[in-house]
Amino acid sequence: MIPLSPRRARFLVSLAPTIAPDVATLDTAGRARFESIVTRALDERPAQVRRQLGLLLDLVRFAPLLRYGRPFARLDAHRQAAWLRWLEGAPIVRLRAGFWGLKTLVYMGYYGQPHVWGSLGYRPFSRASSSGRDPGAERDV
Amino acid sequence: MRNETYDIVIIGSGAGGGTVAAALAPLCADGVRMAVLEWGAKLGPEDLTGRELEMARKLYVDGGAVLTRDGAITLAAGRAYGGSTVVYTGTSLPIPERVIERWSVPGLEWSDIDQRCRKYLAENNAHLLSEELINDNNRLFREGCERLGYRVAPFPINTHGCLGSGLCNLGCPNGAKRGTHVVQLPQAEAHGVEVITHCRVTSIDDRICRAVVTPPEHGEASRWEPGEYAVHARIVIVCAGALHTPALLLRSGLGSKLPALGRYLTLHPALILVGEHDRPIANFRGHPKSYWSDQFLDSHGFVLETCMYFPFTTAKNLIGFGEEHAELMRGFERLQMILVLANDPARAENRVTVDRDGHPVVDYTLTEGVLDALHASMKEAARIFFAAGARRIHAPAGVTFFIEARDEERLDELIPRSNVLPGRISITSAHIMGGCRMGREAATSVTDAWGRVHGFDGLFVADASLFPRCSEVNPYVTVMALADRVAERVRSDARELLSR
Repeated sequence: MIPLSPRRARFLVSLAPTIAPDVATLDTAGRARFESIVTRALDERPAQVRRQLGLLLDLVRFAPLLRYGRPFARLDAHRQAAWLRWLEGAPIVRLRAGFWGLKTLVYMGYYGQPHVWGSLGYRPFSRASSSGRDPGAERDV
Repeated sequence: MRNETYDIVIIGSGAGGGTVAAALAPLCADGVRMAVLEWGAKLGPEDLTGRELEMARKLYVDGGAVLTRDGAITLAAGRAYGGSTVVYTGTSLPIPERVIERWSVPGLEWSDIDQRCRKYLAENNAHLLSEELINDNNRLFREGCERLGYRVAPFPINTHGCLGSGLCNLGCPNGAKRGTHVVQLPQAEAHGVEVITHCRVTSIDDRICRAVVTPPEHGEASRWEPGEYAVHARIVIVCAGALHTPALLLRSGLGSKLPALGRYLTLHPALILVGEHDRPIANFRGHPKSYWSDQFLDSHGFVLETCMYFPFTTAKNLIGFGEEHAELMRGFERLQMILVLANDPARAENRVTVDRDGHPVVDYTLTEGVLDALHASMKEAARIFFAAGARRIHAPAGVTFFIEARDEERLDELIPRSNVLPGRISITSAHIMGGCRMGREAATSVTDAWGRVHGFDGLFVADASLFPRCSEVNPYVTVMALADRVAERVRSDARELLSR
């Protein structure tokens, strides 16, 4: 289970396809791997980082109320993207870096899965592949 | 708490520690007891899977996700039997004379360093790759530079039997890269040096290293049982890297007597830049880093190198998100990559401190000059991509996610300096240097030119933390040369230090 409050964890999962659209194409096992990677990454970070991420998720979710009069989930795709682009170039370095960290977590959950590498055309050398087995399918990272 | 006693303890086994261990190992024949205490694991071939997240967790401190305090720069430091030499690309450049002159360390002569660099270039089999090992990603960089009239040169690479798996940064699965885990540490162990893995030194107190050995999550088990240890030694040589050596000495209380400890950190800030071709190119197979260009080193303070990273690393280094980002990633096999390394000044306020738990914290501010260099590098890399035939490029400071080849004449307009914002663009560092800089005075430096810590007999430093300024080139050969000097000094001082 992603080590955030259930509400924040659900929002993170719902936000992920806006950042990495191909997350939406994951099957049940792929989504489970996504959550497993994100969970492990957060478990390994200090509690302070998890707290900061939680606050950032609240900001992403609710600050659009001030700007657009409705929360993130009720914005159309164009305004969601515009809001995230504002965060990416926000005037405060900690905010920009925080958004970069959020993106990085989503990208880790998706592009860190060896199972998706084939769809990118990425087929790395491995001892297993050199013996004819698919290294990405052997076990989860 | 268990007690162990040695004559010499070396903390860390990377380019510094591995070199010192091998250079001092012949003393074992005279009865000198010597140990290397290494935080990381010794991995076997079965551990080197090439899976990005798994290997990052096995081989990098905090999985390669150490951040500066403001979150604007990611710091990559190796943690393994062999340290960062397990995860570098083996690019073997001796340090230029002008850099040693700029360092201006009394007693440190370029001729001496260069001679030692040459020794390790030979020992590590540094050589130019044959043409058949040059993949498209590297060849296109060379051709792009040549078409523009830019200087471009091949890297000497320290491999033997490279199979071109392209996984250097995740640990070579073929054992081809001649890091200290392959060359110097086995030499040292053959002479009787003990290497204790999974062993983290927490503090040094009057010739006693406090250490913790943990059960292995991967790799070989440690020679020692898990638990807490007091390791007694007459000589201690700290080689834990520029992040953890200053942090260890600060935890050990040396900061009050050494005001420069942890300061003057330089990061050689890096950007990963991407161009996309209209067809698949050979990029992730083959040695990833075969060429570099110093065309803009004097004029703008950066070098350009070839590179090739893995899907997650690539994804997080792109600016933006959404469909355009996904589209670029889906074309992974069409991507050409260039790494930028910017020279950064040594400033006292850029430093390592420790938090209340003793973990290192890095405060680092990118200067306007470095940001200018990174900005200029994006435009020059774009020109090289286009000269090599790329259909479009991605610049982190671009006003649009893609810049098409037809817009090459508009690069100044399309890549504005105002978009080069720390925290927005992904800046990394794998060349962490300084924090225990060499010099004459304890007020402004931590060690002398031979790595002896000012005011602490028997305590030495031998790693990249010695650098008083940025090395301006990939630093591992310089680290080995400095470590070789430190070992020479330890040998000459050994009789006196070991009789205390």
